[in-house]
Order: sequence, then C-alpha cells, then structure tokens
Amino acid sequence: MKHRTGAAAAVLAIGALALTACSSGGDSEPAATNADGSADYSGETLTVMHYEGEDSAMGIAWNRAIEIFEEETGATVDLQTTAFEDLNASAEQLFDSSDAPDVSEYNKGNATAGQLAAIGVIQNMDDAYAEYGWADLLGEGIDTIAMYDENGVMGSGSFYGVPNYGEFVFLYYNEDMFAEQGIEVPTTLDELEAAMAAFSDAGITPLTTSAQEYPMGQLWYQLALSQADRQWVNDYQLYENPVDWTGPEVSYANETLVDWLDNGYISSEVTGMTAEDAGLQFINGEVPMFYSGSWWYGRMLSDITGFDFGITNWPDTTLTPGSGGNMWVIPVESEQPELAKVFIDITMRPEVQALLGESGGLPVAANTDDIADADAQALIGIFNEVNDRDGLSFYPDWPTPDFYGDLNSVMQGLVNGDYDASSAATQLETYYEDYVSNVR
Amino acid sequence: MSTMTTSASKATDPTPANKNKSRPRTPAEWVLMVLATLGALLIVFPMLLLLLNAFKSPADYANSSPLDFPEALDFTGLQTFWETQNFPRALWNSIFISTMVAVLAVILSVLNSFAIGIGRVKGRTWIVLAFLMANLIPQEMLFDPLFRLYDDLGLLSNPWSVIITFTVIQAAFGTYLLSSLLGTFPKEILEAAAVDGASRAKILRSVIVPIIRPTLSVLMVFFFIWTWNEFLLPLAFLNTSDSLTVPLLLEQLNGERQTDTTTLIAGTLISIIPTIIFFLIFQRTLTRGITAGAVK
Repeated sequence: MKHRTGAAAAVLAIGALALTACSSGGDSEPAATNADGSADYSGETLTVMHYEGEDSAMGIAWNRAIEIFEEETGATVDLQTTAFEDLNASAEQLFDSSDAPDVSEYNKGNATAGQLAAIGVIQNMDDAYAEYGWADLLGEGIDTIAMYDENGVMGSGSFYGVPNYGEFVFLYYNEDMFAEQGIEVPTTLDELEAAMAAFSDAGITPLTTSAQEYPMGQLWYQLALSQADRQWVNDYQLYENPVDWTGPEVSYANETLVDWLDNGYISSEVTGMTAEDAGLQFINGEVPMFYSGSWWYGRMLSDITGFDFGITNWPDTTLTPGSGGNMWVIPVESEQPELAKVFIDITMRPEVQALLGESGGLPVAANTDDIADADAQALIGIFNEVNDRDGLSFYPDWPTPDFYGDLNSVMQGLVNGDYDASSAATQLETYYEDYVSNVR
Repeated sequence: MSTMTTSASKATDPTPANKNKSRPRTPAEWVLMVLATLGALLIVFPMLLLLLNAFKSPADYANSSPLDFPEALDFTGLQTFWETQNFPRALWNSIFISTMVAVLAVILSVLNSFAIGIGRVKGRTWIVLAFLMANLIPQEMLFDPLFRLYDDLGLLSNPWSVIITFTVIQAAFGTYLLSSLLGTFPKEILEAAAVDGASRAKILRSVIVPIIRPTLSVLMVFFFIWTWNEFLLPLAFLNTSDSLTVPLLLEQLNGERQTDTTTLIAGTLISIIPTIIFFLIFQRTLTRGITAGAVK
C-alpha cells in the first residue's frame, strides 16, 4: 500500500513537470522590420481569447481570420476559448495579470467594458481607430458601444473596443399558423392587433414571451420605442435629460401590455417562464409569434422542423432594441498590442465579415452582395432596414446595474396584477432614478 | 447505488430456505424500506434524466419533454463534446490536482495535529480556531489577493496555484478534526513506546499513524472529492484551455444567451463516469467514514 502510493505520487510529480514545461510564456521581442516597412512577426505568438461557440457565426468567421492572420504575418495564434460568465467574473483581474490574453472578446456596456475602461484595465484605442479607419466601417448605434468616457459611460469619449457583429430584436412568426387562420403577416400595428385578436378568437395564444428573463422587458422597451424619438433614447440610455416616466412612451408601453394581457394576447403563464421556455413554445409550434433577438436565429433554423417560420421587424416603429455585439478589447497587460490591432483589422475585412453573415451572424462591415445564403440574406435584410433608419436603440436594462432584475420584477407584477399601468411606471421610475440621479 | 438496490431486492424476496430463520418484518421496517427505496429513486432520477437526454438530437430535445425517450439514438451531443473540448486533459488536471491536495493536506494535517493534539501546545483551542478560520472565510474574499499573489509568483494557469490553496484550506479542516481526535489518544500507548526508546518521529510514524489510518484514508477521500468539485478559485487561477479542470470545462459549454443543452448534458454524462469509478473503488472507505473517529 505504502509503496503503491509512493509510486503514484512519483507518477503525478512527473506529470506536473510535463505540465509546467508545456506552458511556456509568450515571447515579446520587438518585431524585425522589413525593407518595405512592413513588420515581420514570424516566431511571435498572439494569444486570442473569445467565448463564441466553434460552430457559431462568430466562431467560424474568426477561425478564418486566424488563418489569414497566420498566413500574412507569420505569427502563430494561441486561441483560448472561455465562457461568457467566466470572463465576466474574472476579466478585471485577468486582464491586469501575466495570464492576460493579447486580444480578447469582451461584453459591451457601461457595467462591463465601461467599468474596465474607467479603471484602465483595457487599452485606449483612439490611435488604432485613426490608423485603421474602423470608425468609417461602424454605423450609428453600433459605434456607440465602443466609446466610453472617463466614468465608463458609453456614447462619448474614447474608443476602447471594436464591435465585430451586431444584434437586434424582431418578430418571429409561424407562417403555417398564419396561413391556417387565413391571417396576413402584419405590416402595421393595427394589423398586428387584429391578427392577435383573430388568433385569440380561435383559442390560440398569439404571442409568447418571458417575464422571468429578458424577452418581456425587451417587448416593453419596443412598445415604448415605437412612440419615442432618438432624443428619448439618449435621455434614457445616456442620461442626457431626465426621462419623463409619465410621458406617452412609457404610458403607451404599460397600457398596451396591460391591454394585451387582459385580452389574453399574452398568457399569464409568462411570469414563470424563462426565455428558453418561451423559445421552445415557439419552436414547438404552440404559439404563432415570438418577439426576441437575432441570437435565436440559428437555433430556429436548425430546430424548427414542423413548419415554416418567417421574420419581420416590429411594425410602425423607427427605433428597435439592438446594438453592436460584444467587441474586441486589448487588455492593459497585452504583450502584443500591435499584432492585436492587425488581427482585429483582419476580422473587419469584407471577406471575414461576409463569412460571418453567411454563417448566420450579423456582420457590421459586409457587402450584402457577397452573401448568397437566402436565410442569411433575410436576416441581414431586415437588419439593414433598421440601420437605414438609424434605429438601433440598445437594451432596456443598460441604464443601471440592477435594472435587468428591476424591470423583470415590474413585468411580473404587470402580469399577475400587482401593478397597473401607472403604478408600474412609478415603480420603474423609483428603480431608475435611484441610480441615474447620481450619475446624471 | 447498485448495492443498495440489490440488497433491497434480496431483502424483499427471501428464499424459502432461510424463511423460517428470519423473523417477520415489523411495520416500521416496511416503512423504512419504502422510504429507502424512495430515497434511492430520488438519487437515481438526475442520472436517469442525463441518460434519457444525452442521446437526443437538439431538435428532438427541443420538441419533447425531458422525460420522453429519445426518438432515435443520436450521438452528436457526445461527439461535439468530445471533439470541441479536451476532456482527457481536463480529467488529468482534475485527478492530478485532487490527488496532490488529498495527499499533501493529509500529511500536513497529521503533522499539525501531532503538535496540537499530542504535543499539547499552549493555547491550542485558539490555534485550532485560527485554523478553522481558513475554512470559514468566504472564497470570494480570497479571490483577489490570491490572484495577485499567484500572478507575482508566475503560478497562474499552473495547477500548483490550486494545489497550494486547497492543501491549506483542506488541511485546516483536517487539523481541526485530527487535533480533537489525537487529544483523546490513550497516553499509555505513547508512554509504552517512549519507554521502548522510540523517538517522537518514530512514535508518529509507527504508532499513531497506523492506529488512525482508517480516519486518514477517509479524510483523504473527502479531500479528493471536495477539491474535485471546487469551482470559484480554480476559475480565477486557471485561465488557459490546457489548465482547466472538469467542472470548469463543463461551464465552458454555457453560452451567453443560448446553451447547446444536448452537448452540455452529454458532457455531464461523460464527466460523471470517472466519479462513479472513483466511488466504486473507494466505496468501502467512504462507508467506513461513518464510524471513523473512534480509536481502537
């Protein structure tokens, strides 16, 4: 027994040596410069970190970008994949340590990238933007999330990241159920309400959502946006002016939701449903409409087998929830900041961006002509529609660190009758002002 | 689990030969047996869910209830997990870290408690209490200082950062437990050994350790399991894909808004296989843990 444990310990110790031998540090010698001024990086290593799935649009496109990068610079890429929640928990320490990747994907928004920018854990990228001209590639509403001021509030100040893809929220509908009931796909709000009434009369709940997670909050925000202008979004998201919580935007959103709940257009079961539950209801063909984001699109394409589904923008609105996606940032401890910029620039190239779109993602800098796939075209088509009217208006939970939970609790209150339209507005104002009055 | 159900079925179905030997069961025994069966079912249920759902295709999973049988055996979940994640590497990391912690923490606990329990140092109650603090401090508080420490030492993404941390944390509990155990160690045995001319090291090695060996092996098994399941601190210290442990690897499968549920389920299924093997090997030691603590 004793000898056996001894032998086992010896084996483990040898393994440990092998382990430490494997993890050699990145080398950081300055790159040799060629005669033509371009740098030769052969022998160098760039550590890239992201948390997209290998089969996701971003994963596929970025793998292509890595190939191009290795070919053109001669450097090798050490790809580290992580999980969204993991990086959220550890980025503040990780980016400021010897383990920091040279370039990493990171979550956009005030509480995340803004926070890291304010404490100086991610690098200012103004010079790189000037050098590579990324600002020209990013549309209005996409670049907002890349800029943060000294307090970490987005929308102004310096560039701290490069968004590589977009995302937005729209209506998924079940074509077969619409056809069965003889209802046209709605293009105006009146038609939408008429369609919901018709489904309801036929004993079908027309719209699914989730009050436990983000979908109902985003529906609420869309309803408010349909009555709002860009200034209202700037007030709400960027704290330019106080938001009028008794104004037409919020009142309309609350009253419409109460109305739809009373009419049975939205089931009272949504209080207990997660986003996954709502999505499954739609995928299983139980409800004809689901209002949610582009992140569902790939899943819908692969999982819906029993019927045809279509997508359309919310009717009668110029503003739509959505934003640039997560972005590339360069940690302060990056050993290869120059190579990192070269890599980011490759991910912004039309061919990589087109591949991202072709694979089901929303490219921010692609030529739509380069994309052949019909499903991808449909999605990019309605996304461009939103961008053409400068419609991207971010998400309802961005203004305060706790507003996600606050908004969901008020939505649940609306569904189970704890709040009416006006008391819901008062409650939301309390939650919102509690934080925003200190930063405005 | 298997032993539980087989012994239960044996008991319910006594052979005619020993029927007259066994006395009839009392109602209380029947109630206990029903409760035990229910308990066993409750424990088997999650594994049943894993087995049912690991072999479904994503579309099948989306369109059926978790309790339905798969429409057809589908191995894409298992395949994706195996192809996209370096599971053997993570398994090795987990085994290496947990084993080192279990062995080192037990050695450290024995040495500490020899001084505190047998050596009877002054203020030992307070010393033991101070040791216990290591267990009581929330790990969230250790997160940042330890991260910076290992960063300076160049031990980030190195299994030794986790080994050192958890050797200390587990040894703190081990010291607490063994100190009170050795505090009641029969003096006569120690005196007899001393009369025979044994040095302190010899007493520890040849007298005390053999006597408390059952307790030590139980401690070792527990340390192994506790370290295996640790999440937060390994998450902080182990950042490269090569250094991940099994629980961290499973966490990687969770997406920001969407999770590939069938792959996650398949991965969970694969990752509990080593745990089950470990359980089968150390089953006896584990059950002995219930009676551990008594000195012969």
